[in-house]
Amino acid sequence: MTTTLQHAPTKAGGGLARRQNFLTALISGVVFAWLAWYIGRHTLDTTTRSFSDQVAVLTACGWTVGFWFGIGALNGPGRWLTGRDHTRADDLYYAGENQGRARYWKYCTDHKVVGVQYIIMTMVLLGTGGILAMAIRTQLLTPGNHFVDQQVYNGFIAVHGMLMILALIVAVAGPWANFVVPIMIGAHDMAFPRLNALSLWTLVAAAGLLLTTLAVGSLPVGWVVLAPISNQAGVGMDFFAMAIIVFTVSTTVAGINTIATVMTLRTKGMTLSRLPIFVWGSVIAAALGLYAFPYFLTVEAIQILDRTVSTSFFVATGGGAGWLQANLFWLMGHPEVYVILIPAVAALFEIAAVMSRKPVFSYRTAIAGMTGLAGLSILVWAHHMFTTGWAPTLGGPFMLTTELISIPTGLFFLVLLGTLWRGNIWMKLPTLWLFGFVFNFIIAGITGIYLSDIPIDNQLHGTMFVTAHFHYVFVGSVLFGAIAALAFWFPKVSGRYLDETQGKISFWLVFIGVQVTFLAMFTSGLRGMPRRYSSYSMIFEHTNFVTTMGAYMIMAGMLVLLGAVISSWRKGEPSGPNPWQANSLEWLVPTPPPLENFDVLPTIKEDPYNFGGKR
Amino acid sequence: MATNKKHSLTGFYWLWFALTVVGVIISIWAPAYLMPQSMSSNMNLTILTMVVFSVAAAPVAAGVYAATAYLLRHNIYRGNSVPPAAEVQTRENARLTIGWVLASTLLTVFLLIWGLGALTVDNGGNESNPLVVNVTGQQWLWSFSYAGTHVESNTLVLPLDREVVFHITSKDVTHGFWIAQMGIQVDANAGAITELHTTPNKLGTFDIRCTQFCGLNHAFMVTQGQVMTTQGFDNWLAAQPQRA
Ligand SMILES: [Cu+2]
Repeated sequence: MTTTLQHAPTKAGGGLARRQNFLTALISGVVFAWLAWYIGRHTLDTTTRSFSDQVAVLTACGWTVGFWFGIGALNGPGRWLTGRDHTRADDLYYAGENQGRARYWKYCTDHKVVGVQYIIMTMVLLGTGGILAMAIRTQLLTPGNHFVDQQVYNGFIAVHGMLMILALIVAVAGPWANFVVPIMIGAHDMAFPRLNALSLWTLVAAAGLLLTTLAVGSLPVGWVVLAPISNQAGVGMDFFAMAIIVFTVSTTVAGINTIATVMTLRTKGMTLSRLPIFVWGSVIAAALGLYAFPYFLTVEAIQILDRTVSTSFFVATGGGAGWLQANLFWLMGHPEVYVILIPAVAALFEIAAVMSRKPVFSYRTAIAGMTGLAGLSILVWAHHMFTTGWAPTLGGPFMLTTELISIPTGLFFLVLLGTLWRGNIWMKLPTLWLFGFVFNFIIAGITGIYLSDIPIDNQLHGTMFVTAHFHYVFVGSVLFGAIAALAFWFPKVSGRYLDETQGKISFWLVFIGVQVTFLAMFTSGLRGMPRRYSSYSMIFEHTNFVTTMGAYMIMAGMLVLLGAVISSWRKGEPSGPNPWQANSLEWLVPTPPPLENFDVLPTIKEDPYNFGGKR
Repeated sequence: MATNKKHSLTGFYWLWFALTVVGVIISIWAPAYLMPQSMSSNMNLTILTMVVFSVAAAPVAAGVYAATAYLLRHNIYRGNSVPPAAEVQTRENARLTIGWVLASTLLTVFLLIWGLGALTVDNGGNESNPLVVNVTGQQWLWSFSYAGTHVESNTLVLPLDREVVFHITSKDVTHGFWIAQMGIQVDANAGAITELHTTPNKLGTFDIRCTQFCGLNHAFMVTQGQVMTTQGFDNWLAAQPQRA
């Protein structure tokens, strides 16, 4: 750095960024939001019906721009526009050189810092969504319970759903496609380090907007927020729509970055067939996200137009169509499930190989399964619309595409079980959560097949059966995969093991909790209880009581896990750089990995799955 | 420590078989036991399809669970440090992979053929003189008017063994019209009419519940209906106040 300084003797790197952090971002976001609100209030026509929606959208824009400004996201573009682009010293400052823990609160371009920030962000989103889940389940503890106000409850349903979706979209890809993928492929950083910081802090800005909905009258209209019901929501709906738009910017930037990094920055010899399988999963999921999330942005942008300037794209009484919105929404909504699932499965392939001391079984099949799933997932969206009345004649074709999903999904079991088969399985925390995944994912898969069948869907759609099914996917499968990934890579991040004892207690609480909660919820649904109920009749009493007890168990388990993460991070057992004796590059660099990871980029001669046994 | 020496697979096959048997028994028993008692041919078909799909899925789930149990029994490394490399370092097994794909494809094709067949039967609707009921949803109640009459009611009464065609719409937001005992469901959309067919085949009361989130009182948008004999239905209809 000193040599660089001689070339730029006027000042050290960083400039304005030296004064910017999360706190200035919050302050600046609030100030800009207030300014936008104030200007809106005094310049817009107060007599139009959509006045308050217009003000709300302006306020949300103000918050986002202010947050970007306050965190430092606009410094780089500003300097570039004014012809004073970053010097090497500036880049090193932005990468957090010599800033200790303060860099975790800043616009830091080091992919490892961004990875850790994503871990924290995932925990914040999961925690908030989890608290709402506990409120929902407590309301449903007994028939006719009055734990929360009915309108507030309805808002909790939507915000719980959206928070958890966001949490799981980033739960594996956020921390690990950022922290480990660049090291895995032998790169100094991501292809676009500043965009990497942008994606993280844009997610924070979006989460702020989403939480604002709770403060401004919430969103008592379900998480899919389809018109016309969405038009009965107040300004919470505007903040929600803006949150989604801002979130889409975040995932798009992150997705492009992941793909560009893997395409361009692989080290010498890191051919496509030598890539660790998790890299493949990250890229496939990122590509699928690039396809899917623009629909989400489109839906919410049009919704904002309908609400603020009186268009009626989605309003049947104005010549539009709610079914148009439903189609656009599910064009995003189904692929999104696999954007969430694929990184978790890919991480489990990695874990299965390392922990059983065997290569990934049928590496090509694993890639084919993930690619096939991603490809099919864009052709199945209308199975969410079997009972809407839209295009009944398309039922057959969509049933076909949906049921074909079983084939690539089946390959996941082949690869996982094939890898573990006759291995020397090391039963540590990551492996434990891996087995939990296998157990739950088969239930998730089979219950999905029922729902793909139209005569059955005509009975079970819109019931708690569907809710239980996708919770087996998201909690039973994706969350288990995400926790396995956390336990697996935790030593690389912190230099310490995630505590085995606390981790095991947490596993058993969550594992049993999931079975209790969602098997009982399947029963509620089979008996005929619709979703999104704030109250129910006596015939659903017992199954709901059991579900609520199970949900408390899951929460208890997650709190134990949170405790384990915090205590292990501070004073857990030191792990050394390569506790699992794995061969992929992230384990071959020191822990913590130095800034820019490698002094000299390594040359790769074989894939990382040669554990030294006979072939 | 060679924990990964080849153990006999006999135990695995027996466990697979036993779990499959348990799965099949549950598959046959559970749907009819847990789901509402059927009151229409559609619901009979739905429950039958649940049974068939569960029976088809039983060996798959049983296989995965038996394999997992086998791994936990024989392949867990008991040492304290990193296990040595597994003796078998299999990277591919083309026969197994092809067999797996073929088996899952065959199973999928079977489910699909069954599903498409069931869909055709389910859609039914070719009786020459069906009873036409116009259903209107609004926040938060249902109303029913009988075509060819001036009767409008908040309770749904249907005759036994006669095909009913529902024409469904909404006055405000989207609602979901679902008869829990008849296996039929479709949305009630403002500005559009959707259609359902069914033939009630059992006397008694049934439950109509809204399956699309529709605002504050969504959970209370429930009503009961009744299937009567043809004679009972005619008497009921005649006794209803006539709409002007
Ligand atoms: Cu309703």
